[in-house]
Amino acid sequence: MNQQRIYKFFIKICFLIVFVSAPAQQKNDSIPKDSIVYKTNYGLRLGIDISKPIRSLLQDYNSGLEIVGDYRISKKWYAAAELGNEEFTSNEDFTNSTSKGSYMKIGVNYNSYNNWLDMNNEIFIGLRYGFATFEETLNSYQVNTGNTILPTQSITTPSTQKGLTAHWTEIQLGFRAELYNNLFITFSSSYKIMVSITEPINFKTHYAPGFNRIYASNTGFGFNYTISYLIPFRKK
Amino acid sequence: MKRYYLFLSLIALLFLSCEKDDFCIDPITPNMIIRFYDATNTSNTKSVSNLSVNPEGLDVIYSNESLDSILIPLDVTSGQIIYNFSKGNNQDIITIDYDVEEVFVSRSCGFKAIFNNVTVTSDVSNDWIIGLTETSENTITIPTIENESAAHLQIFH
Repeated sequence: MNQQRIYKFFIKICFLIVFVSAPAQQKNDSIPKDSIVYKTNYGLRLGIDISKPIRSLLQDYNSGLEIVGDYRISKKWYAAAELGNEEFTSNEDFTNSTSKGSYMKIGVNYNSYNNWLDMNNEIFIGLRYGFATFEETLNSYQVNTGNTILPTQSITTPSTQKGLTAHWTEIQLGFRAELYNNLFITFSSSYKIMVSITEPINFKTHYAPGFNRIYASNTGFGFNYTISYLIPFRKK
Repeated sequence: MKRYYLFLSLIALLFLSCEKDDFCIDPITPNMIIRFYDATNTSNTKSVSNLSVNPEGLDVIYSNESLDSILIPLDVTSGQIIYNFSKGNNQDIITIDYDVEEVFVSRSCGFKAIFNNVTVTSDVSNDWIIGLTETSENTITIPTIENESAAHLQIFH
C-alpha cells in the first residue's frame, strides 16, 4: 500500500510539472496474468476554469467564467463540453475595443495515458466545435494619419455592434491528475481555427469569447487551468 | 502544497509571455499629391523655386525648396484645411474642402481616412499660381483621394 502511494505521488509530480516519460516496462510472459481487476469511477465530472480569475488579477483581462464538464463513455473516451462567458478589452495602437459574450464548446477527449492500478490520470487529446455569440464595442480610436504635422484627435464615443457570432474548431492537449479522491486538476492548451465569423461593419473582431485573440491567419490559442470534481455513477 | 504553488506560477508565466506580433504595413491615410506644371506649356511639369508650404497657423512642411511635386497631409479632424504656398515672397492661399470617411484597415493600422468630394480653391490674387486647370480656373473638384498611387492636383504656374 505504501509503495502504491509512492507511485501515485511520483506520477502526480510528473503531471504537474512537465511530463517526463515513464520508464518503459518490460513485458514478461512467464509471469501469469494478474487476476485482480482494478476498477475506476465512471460518471460526470464538473469543474471551473480558474485561469480566468487569475488572469483578471495579473493581466489586462476583464472577466470570465468557464464551466467545464465531461462524461466518461468508455475506458479511453470522454464526451466533453465547456460553457463560458467572457469580457475582454483589446488595447491596440490605434483602437480600443471590448468583446463581450458567451460561448459553448462540445466534443470529445481521448485519454492516451495508461494508468497504474486504479489510478485515474490523463494525458488527453481533445477535439471541439466552438460557438460564440457576442457583441463588440469600439470604445475609442484615433485615425492613423502617419504624420505628426497636423494634430489628431481620439474619438471616444463608443459604438456597439450586437449579434455577432463565431464558429471554430479546436484541438486540445491536456494533462489531468487526480489530486484527492475524485478531485482533479487539469492543465490544457488549445489551438483553434476559425471556421466562420460575422464581422462588425467597418471594424474587425479582435477577440472572440472562447476563441481568445484572433490572429491574422484566423487562428487562436488558449490555456486553461481547471479544478473539477467527479460525481461517480458507477465503477467499471 | 508547495508544488502546486510552483505549478500556479508556471501557469502565470505562460500568460505573461504574449507580445505584439504584427506591424502596420498596409497603406494608411493618403496625403494629397500635387504636381506643378508649366502654365504656358501645360503638358510639361515645371519646378517651383524657393517653394515654402505650410498649413495655416502651423510650421512649414517645405521650406525654400525647388520641387515639381509635393505631398501635403489633410486634416482628418475637420472638413477643411488652408495651406499657404509661397514662392519667395509671393504667397498664394489654397483652401481644400472635403468629406472625411473613416475606413478600418487592420488591427495594427487601425482606421485610415479617405477624402471624398474634395474641392480645391486657389485665392484669386494669383501671385504666382496661375490656375488649377489647364484653362486657369481657380477651383477644381476631385471625387476622391483614397491612395497615393497618382497625383491628385495639378498647379499651373
